[in-house]
Amino acid sequence: MKRAGRLVLGFVAVAATALDAQQSIAARLSGRASAEIVALVQELGRSAASQGLPVDPLIQKAIEGNAKGVPAERVASAVRLVFAQLDTAAAALRSATHNSPADTVEIAAGGFAITAGLRGRDIAELARTGRPAADVTVGLRVAGTLAALGVPPAETVALVSASLRAGQAPGDLLALPGSVQSEMARGATPAQAAAGLARAAAAQARHGPPADHGLPPHPPAPPHP
Amino acid sequence: MHAETGGPRGSTDGEVVRAVLAGDRERYAVLVERYRDRYARYAARMLGSTDAAEDAVQDAFVRAYDQLAQCQDPNKFVGWFFLILRNRCFAEQRKSRSHLSLEAATSVPTADRSDVATETGEKRRALQEALLGLTAEQREVFVLKHVEGLSYMEIAERLNTSVPSLKMRMHRAYDRLREQLREHA
Amino acid sequence: MMKRDFDPQVKQLLDGELTLADLPAELRQEGEEALRLLAAVDREPVSLPAVTWRVMAALERRRQRRLAWLLAPALAAAAALVLWLGRPASPAAPASSAMVTVRFVLVAPGAHQVSVAGTFNRWDPSATPLVRSGSADMWVATLSLPPGQHQYAFVVDGVRWVPDPTAPAIDDGFGRRNSVLTL
Repeated sequence: MKRAGRLVLGFVAVAATALDAQQSIAARLSGRASAEIVALVQELGRSAASQGLPVDPLIQKAIEGNAKGVPAERVASAVRLVFAQLDTAAAALRSATHNSPADTVEIAAGGFAITAGLRGRDIAELARTGRPAADVTVGLRVAGTLAALGVPPAETVALVSASLRAGQAPGDLLALPGSVQSEMARGATPAQAAAGLARAAAAQARHGPPADHGLPPHPPAPPHP
Repeated sequence: MHAETGGPRGSTDGEVVRAVLAGDRERYAVLVERYRDRYARYAARMLGSTDAAEDAVQDAFVRAYDQLAQCQDPNKFVGWFFLILRNRCFAEQRKSRSHLSLEAATSVPTADRSDVATETGEKRRALQEALLGLTAEQREVFVLKHVEGLSYMEIAERLNTSVPSLKMRMHRAYDRLREQLREHA
Repeated sequence: MMKRDFDPQVKQLLDGELTLADLPAELRQEGEEALRLLAAVDREPVSLPAVTWRVMAALERRRQRRLAWLLAPALAAAAALVLWLGRPASPAAPASSAMVTVRFVLVAPGAHQVSVAGTFNRWDPSATPLVRSGSADMWVATLSLPPGQHQYAFVVDGVRWVPDPTAPAIDDGFGRRNSVLTL
């Protein structure tokens, strides 16, 4: 009896959450999307929630399309594309972590990386670096940003995975796009810039962080010959 | 991409150093470009691999940038930079002697990565490994004389030491190399 | 194995002070062995082309970490830029704990009105207007944003959506480009 009661309560809770989610989508899109787009986002939102995908990127894309004055059918295509990209990212993350589900923040970062031009296998490769999910999330965002700068997928993955494996802090990972841009300003191609930074990160992983810069300016006195 | 003015690539070392100290950070690239290869071979032979040399040369340039205000004669930047790189190579040697010889076996010689394990390649490899068995001071004098082609006088000037002292170091190096190469054979 | 040193005359040979012909006959063989040793010296030049930009990138990374407010010379000539301010000094600090102050700048000659719209303000072109600063063509706005990934574009005169020319950009799915800000 108690068990049945708990089941009923559980069902009510799930239904209420789903209802809340639908109302929340409708509220967030109120005045910012046509009725058909609201319906589409609610439908995709249900699927997303049931698959553990984030819903926010779908809502954002619908709002963006409306703000830019894009026709509804084109907004619908773009929202569906975002859903597909999130789905691809989630599948890649699952495949890399032996089917353990990724959190929605990590999936959103992966979805962005896909939008920026990376592939599912690139996402999986980054997830396989064995770093904590929070670091992988930052790595995925940085990878997407590098791809958005024009760094090809192979060099992007090499650089970010080397940096993750070297145990670089989030702040250092986030500095990578700036470093690539600096090199590009000096005439390097995005691929050259990323490849060189990857070599530096790999060297750091091999030898540990660079030595302290406080050594005396002169070499040690040689032993008496 | 920004336009360079005043032809910085033609500037003297002193002019570039002063410009960097005055805040034109980007000009430091001129010095790096100018000297990155000059002692690359020295670093590669001292450390046993091109990869290690690249790390060392990079690190030495970053250090030199940090200490640029201490460069007493900016027109002699390159001699001053050499001492910093040398210091870095010696420090690396102290840090990881075993690691170096390990890497030497796989990645030292530049010419013998090629297809054929020629006799020359084998001999080069053996000598480079034997060099890593010397003390850093012995190896340095050998590299400067027989790889870089400097005379004892030039080496003495650069390292601020005497020719007899260098010769003693070198002669010990010859004996040690002979011993190691015989063991290897 | 017994340790055998080179004869002092052979060492002079190695030093280039004697030739093989100068050695007494009994030392010729040792002299030849010594010269074979020198013949194995690898004098191949070594080139490290990547060092230039590796050094400059290392200096740049440190600069970005150290300075709170700096206009990079390479970016100064560009039309628009975003400055990151207030990133936690320690990279180990939890990324979610601090808002990041971001300054948006657009040089837009002839514009009457400029705003920035993006994921951080529901893409609302009226939410975040830029104000003129210094030169009549330069428009700026400063925002505090949470760490994470943001997409945005400038809106000129309420109708023209313009990506930030100095920032990474991706397709927006509608045939235009969105700029990307990763904090």
